[in-house]
Amino acid sequence: MFQSIVSYGLAVGAVYALIGITYNVMFSASRVFSFTAGMLGMLGGVLGALFINTLGMNAVLAFVLVLACGAALGIVTEILTVRPVLKSVEQHLYVLSTLAFALMIQQVVAIEYGTEAYPFPVLIPIDADSIWGVVDQKFWLPVLACAVTIAGLEFLYRKTLIGRAFLAIAEDSYAARALGLPETRLRMASFALAGVIGALAGFTGAQMLLAFIGNQAILNFYGFVPVALGGMGSNRGAVIGGLALGLFQQAANFLVGGIFAAVAVFAVFIVVLLLRPEGLAGAATARRV
Amino acid sequence: MTDTAAPIQARAGGTGWLEGKLAWIALGLVGLLLPLLDDSYIGVIAQRAYIYWVLGAGLNLVVGYAGQIAIGWVSMLTLGAYTTAALAAGNVGEPWHPYLALVAGGVMGAVFGVVVGLPALRLRTFYFAMTTLGFATIVTQVALAWKSVTGGGVGTPGPVFPWPFDPGWGFYYFCFFLAAIATWMTANIASSRFGRGLIAIRDAEVAAEASGVAKPKLLMMVFLLAGALGGVAGGLFSSLQSYITPDAFTFEMSVLFFIGILIGGRGSILGPALGTLLLTVLPEFAAPLVQWSTFLYAALLLLIVLVIPGGIADLIDYKNRRPLEQHREIAPRPELLPRLLDERRDGEVLSLKGIELSFGGVRAIAGIDLEIRPGEVHGLIGPNGSGKTTTLNVISGYYAPQKGEVRLGTAMLPPGAPHLRAPHRIARTFQTPRLIGAASVLENVMVGGTIDGQGSFAESLLTLPRHRRDEIQLREAAMLALAVVGLESLAGVRADRLQHSELRFVEIARALMLRPACLMLDEPAAGLSAEEIRRLGALIKAVSRAGTAVLLVEHHADLIFDICDRVTVLNLGKVLAAGTPAEIRSHREVVSAYLGA
Amino acid sequence: MLIKRRLVLSGSAAGAVSLATGLSAPAIAQSEPIKIGYLPALTGPSSSTGVGINRGVQLGVEEINNKGGVNGRKLELISRDTQSDPTKAVNAVAELTQRQKVAMIFGPVNSGEALAATPLIARDKVPMLHPCWVDELIDVKKYPMAFRIAPTNTQIGGGANHYVVDVLKLKKIAVVSDTTGYGTASVNTYVPMLKAKGAEVVYQNHVDAANPDLKPELLRMQSAGAQVIMPWSVNAGFLSRICNTRGAMGWDVPIVGQTTLGSGQTKALLEKPEYWNKVYSNNFRQVCYVNGKLLPKAAEYVERLKKAKVEFSDTLLWWVALGWDSVMMMAETFKTAGTKAEDVVGYMNKVKGWPGIYGTVTWTPEQHNGFPDSEVVMCEVNSLKDGAFNIAPGYSS
Repeated sequence: MFQSIVSYGLAVGAVYALIGITYNVMFSASRVFSFTAGMLGMLGGVLGALFINTLGMNAVLAFVLVLACGAALGIVTEILTVRPVLKSVEQHLYVLSTLAFALMIQQVVAIEYGTEAYPFPVLIPIDADSIWGVVDQKFWLPVLACAVTIAGLEFLYRKTLIGRAFLAIAEDSYAARALGLPETRLRMASFALAGVIGALAGFTGAQMLLAFIGNQAILNFYGFVPVALGGMGSNRGAVIGGLALGLFQQAANFLVGGIFAAVAVFAVFIVVLLLRPEGLAGAATARRV
Repeated sequence: MTDTAAPIQARAGGTGWLEGKLAWIALGLVGLLLPLLDDSYIGVIAQRAYIYWVLGAGLNLVVGYAGQIAIGWVSMLTLGAYTTAALAAGNVGEPWHPYLALVAGGVMGAVFGVVVGLPALRLRTFYFAMTTLGFATIVTQVALAWKSVTGGGVGTPGPVFPWPFDPGWGFYYFCFFLAAIATWMTANIASSRFGRGLIAIRDAEVAAEASGVAKPKLLMMVFLLAGALGGVAGGLFSSLQSYITPDAFTFEMSVLFFIGILIGGRGSILGPALGTLLLTVLPEFAAPLVQWSTFLYAALLLLIVLVIPGGIADLIDYKNRRPLEQHREIAPRPELLPRLLDERRDGEVLSLKGIELSFGGVRAIAGIDLEIRPGEVHGLIGPNGSGKTTTLNVISGYYAPQKGEVRLGTAMLPPGAPHLRAPHRIARTFQTPRLIGAASVLENVMVGGTIDGQGSFAESLLTLPRHRRDEIQLREAAMLALAVVGLESLAGVRADRLQHSELRFVEIARALMLRPACLMLDEPAAGLSAEEIRRLGALIKAVSRAGTAVLLVEHHADLIFDICDRVTVLNLGKVLAAGTPAEIRSHREVVSAYLGA
Repeated sequence: MLIKRRLVLSGSAAGAVSLATGLSAPAIAQSEPIKIGYLPALTGPSSSTGVGINRGVQLGVEEINNKGGVNGRKLELISRDTQSDPTKAVNAVAELTQRQKVAMIFGPVNSGEALAATPLIARDKVPMLHPCWVDELIDVKKYPMAFRIAPTNTQIGGGANHYVVDVLKLKKIAVVSDTTGYGTASVNTYVPMLKAKGAEVVYQNHVDAANPDLKPELLRMQSAGAQVIMPWSVNAGFLSRICNTRGAMGWDVPIVGQTTLGSGQTKALLEKPEYWNKVYSNNFRQVCYVNGKLLPKAAEYVERLKKAKVEFSDTLLWWVALGWDSVMMMAETFKTAGTKAEDVVGYMNKVKGWPGIYGTVTWTPEQHNGFPDSEVVMCEVNSLKDGAFNIAPGYSS
């Protein structure tokens, strides 16, 4: 039982964490929370299954294509739903525009692909008796993806020029623009990156979560919980929050079972937010008058 | 100018009343006469539309007026439906009378409306959206799990209302009248100081606080009302459906309510009513498109957000498309001030002592003492970043200083509580005007008098006499204030159609509504023409002479030296010099550092 | 998967168009078509059953009309896709009964919408034929004009319980469902029935179907000493996860339950084909292979379907047969009794031993559940061929 809680909890927690990072990457670039994060996760699974199972592509090609689709969707999100409403961020129109876009994509998937959960292929042909087979790949793939992503982001932000430009934008977009940074292009790049991360989460988690349209709503909510707990914009917070959420949820599954696990997660979410609206690790932001 | 009252009443009422009501009268007539068609299919669709609008009317105050993104409001419908159905069916004790059960559904909705609304007081927009979504999921889960009461997945039969509102056209009229009542009540709120407060919270939160709008209390009342209406709608829904199961309460339905309001337009009642009607009826006429309906709703939402953020209400608001006069002049009439500020009061001194404030490591204010006396204009000048606006914000309570205190007379002003400044009659304007673009100039000014309203929320809901008296008084005062600043001819115009200089005067009118003991003006002359500045100066001076302590932050040295009785010069968060204009003008350090002459 | 769905969709769209053209014809003259109201769920969640039934319905109507209709009157199918949404069903009922004045209504398929639609149809005094299994839908006092051409949930559960307790002789049973209306209701009904048969229910729970890991639940069943798992759900993902988890645990107990256990959706989600062994789902004696052969009547029907080029690879014989049977039943009723509601009900009240492809139907004025207990059987899910299954081992043939 303990092993099941840990392996499954960490795996699903890694998916939540990656979706949380997706939220964060978009947020850092634009001060916008986008409802498209869960959609990207859902599409990672659905498109993967579509490419491999239905169109018969090879797994590597499908993987690259899925990530490319994620990037493209990220860019479309930025152009269509974020940029037009960015000048009036305080009106929160982005909540509506990104919700509308996510719903549209979801409906198209529902009609063109179906509302049932479809199987996702085993990606890596490994012998169950080899070292890699000890723990099922559906558990370690998302964890690996999460580790690679966080390491990659750290490298990007700390060691590369473009990464520092990202950080500058996140810190103060006005000043960054004054410094001559191409704010719009960097924001688009950030959304593309977020698209890749979201699709990666969906693709690597799909052996566990299946190619299922219902994952959009689930990932939207459970992916946001780590952001709310870890503080917005904090990727480390999202990873810790995500893994903790996965373990907590799975433990609740074992101990109380059924729907009470969902109620428990929701209750924790609300209580934490009411007590610490800025998240467990976040700092209060000064208001602008 | 024989009778100064004469011009003030103009344009406030008149033909506009009928124009506004005409659409409602038409809708009401159609609704009343619809049974003549004797087509109960149309009847069912209409009942559904009315029921959705009972919920939508309340949600409209939350979403359209207060700007809170409550995506999951379907949870109120679920709660109301199950409460009514379970009580009427006798799943909990003895069966209740259906009408009584419906009331219980409303009460349940009200309670949970407040519970769900609570996080909105603390959480940012997106968080709140997520919370309502999560709550909607939980309610459905509980409905599934709590079998003894809700029937679990098999559900429970909805109540059948006995005569006079028995199924068929009786129930039709029941839904119709409840929808009409919901419309009437929410319209009452919308046109009261509470409704204006909500829009102010949505579009100009900072200004709302400065005007004394108590956000937590107001939002709670609105969530209570919207929850109650949602609960009643749920009770009706359970009867219309004849049988309720958890799968009737879908996310799509929640989206429908929400989008109906936004399509209708924020800050309107008629628009969202039409929007809800449209979304309920449309799928019936487009059967082949039924499976695409959610997609189309979403596409419509995106279109609305990107292209016509004002929604239907904007499209039918032809009144505000009439061109305004091109060469308008702002002609303040300070002579009316005594009527607005009624009696000459014994003013009190606003004093700051040893204020210190730093952000992180930056010291914005490094110990400032200041005294602003009634009947005087006190100028506050200094280079950019010297702490002028920050000082204003400390007085207004937006920033809590780390050290020092602010007093009005002997009363200590609590640090960091902006909505508690208005009761002390401290009013202010902002560097960039903070007005509600979508509301009329008159409504904007009326926001300033919020704290003078006597009637309660409930009284406004039912337009009881006290509410009507409040409204008349506020309207008269606002017209007077507009006359004082010389803008009464624009009272009915949407604020976002005004020129920049006019907005500055509207803000002053709003501030005057408080009959301020202390008026703080943050760069009121910025962007004004020379002639306008001259008139502004005269107005400010008149305000101070009426017994108000005026604090003026300004860059226009001419204006400062023309009208100020006292001037304080700030530099690097400290007082560099203070004295009469003449003293300052000859102060060597000031001249070299700032005046540059 | 993609391509087939598109076909289904374009088919239903075409149906809707043909409906629209015949909207406002008052049914007075004897040559006017007979209107049948039809409330399928062709799109939206859990639509695969509706899609299957629809193929039978469309084919049945087409065949009858090609032969000149009923007493010279064509059948006109007025269908409204409910998408399993109860609110859409309620709207559609008002349209069918009040505006279209249909002679009879067939549907809806899913529980929530059927529960909401039935009292309203009864209020408007239109006869209805139910394909839905929910017991509460049939009540001769409340809904005297409603008849069921399919088994009830009690019969379905009874069939499974009978197989587990009487045929397999297992006594310690785990009963699990998802949290949907269908799932919870099933468990609540079947557990007392099992207990009445003397079996011991060692585990009983509702689990969220979206929960991707069912190992905790299966471990609880195992430690409670269960000898058989009886899952009640129409969610293929949920059912396949039960099969997968059982297989991965190497726990060799039979799984006995609802028909979806044998659906192609469930199969597609299995990790290994052998995880489908020892899984038995509900089915119906008349459309099962016994000793590798269908009954002559069913075999002939399948030939007919193949000739009509009805798509079979993604649906089940009994779905199609149920749709077909329903149309035939209504046509026969109209032929003998006309289209007046009282006459229709009077005729249907006396139907006895009507030999359908799907089932042998008998109604009486007191009993409007027409499906015989004896025809509810279990089948081996891994024996699917042409939409039908082998009858489960142990039944006397």
